[in-house]
Amino acid sequence: MTDVPDDAALRARLQASDPAASLPVADPARTARLLEDVMSTELTTESRESGTRGRSPLTWLVAAAAVLIIAGIGVFAAVGHDSGSGGAPTAGDQPSGSADTVTELAMPSGAIKGRCPVPTSELLSSQTVAFDATVVSVDAGVTTLEPTRWYAGEPTDLVRVQSPPESLKYAVGAVDFRDGRRYLVSATGGRLSVCGFTGPYSPDLAALYQRAFGD
Amino acid sequence: MSAPVESRRDHFEEVAPSLIEPLRRFLARRTDPATAEDVLAETLLVCWRRVDDLPEQPLPWAYGVARNCLRNAERSVRREQRLTARIATVDPPPVSTPATDASTDDAADDELAIALASLRPEDAELLRLWAWEQLTPADIATVLGVTANAASIRLHRARQRLRSRLRKSEAGSGHEGSRERRQP
Repeated sequence: MTDVPDDAALRARLQASDPAASLPVADPARTARLLEDVMSTELTTESRESGTRGRSPLTWLVAAAAVLIIAGIGVFAAVGHDSGSGGAPTAGDQPSGSADTVTELAMPSGAIKGRCPVPTSELLSSQTVAFDATVVSVDAGVTTLEPTRWYAGEPTDLVRVQSPPESLKYAVGAVDFRDGRRYLVSATGGRLSVCGFTGPYSPDLAALYQRAFGD
Repeated sequence: MSAPVESRRDHFEEVAPSLIEPLRRFLARRTDPATAEDVLAETLLVCWRRVDDLPEQPLPWAYGVARNCLRNAERSVRREQRLTARIATVDPPPVSTPATDASTDDAADDELAIALASLRPEDAELLRLWAWEQLTPADIATVLGVTANAASIRLHRARQRLRSRLRKSEAGSGHEGSRERRQP
């Protein structure tokens, strides 16, 4: 439109301060591994056909965003979800207005200092709660997940994992919930099972869940 | 049903390698290294799942995906560490500072950084997409999900605003004038 030389100069000046200018090229081996990881993700149990019923990850991102907004504004009541139909929601600290059913879980209480049994499908199948979920928020002491699939337990719209401050370091280190990422989570007696039973979604872990709760 | 697994794989393997470097850079410019790594994987996962939807020119589309993933990833960061996030925006993460040690002083265009940071975030992002990702207004439109016409107009205005900020800061500090005349 106007002043093309000015535009060129401005663009060049911006480019001169490009923070990625010095970024080294990625290690090809790492790139190959990353691609392989990505491509192996969907080829396992949780396919679009079986698990997420054709919904794309973007849908989940949008859903996650929606949940946050809704939780914030508290106008979800109109959608017509019936909290009475849910499992064991203990919506004690949930402000009024939200009709999401919630499963409350806690981190293990320091008992994971000892030995970890090797995760097997037998041990896993004894868990009372198991699900595949995406973290929609990580706040101080509370991680909220939105389950996409329930392997065991009464399905609810959301799951909140409480972690008391003193155990935060260790427990969150053991599981390391991060916003927007997908996890396979299991619990017994209201407490998260760590030691490899709960972790970021991976084909191996998904296969273990599939064996334990196979459908 | 989507295409058979093998053909999806072939398609993805053909397209994805060319997306990785630009996406890494896109993310390195906008977030810390750890988040960049996470969001890169997330973005590629979306591309893999939607490989049948990939447009002829997949990069601007992939930038759009990365942008969404990044926003999602940073929502909690912003909530918990508003200040840190702000600093990270103004002051890019250490890994992405210019490597040329000899010319570090020269390369750090503080006036530009301040002027850019003083713009509305949408304007600054348009300028980054234009200058750093070197996208055309049509491609910027794909990234942002707006019409090409809107992107073109907004980009034009964003450039004007940036120029005006730079002029003001030049006027405010005359001794810096020599740098302004520097031809890159």
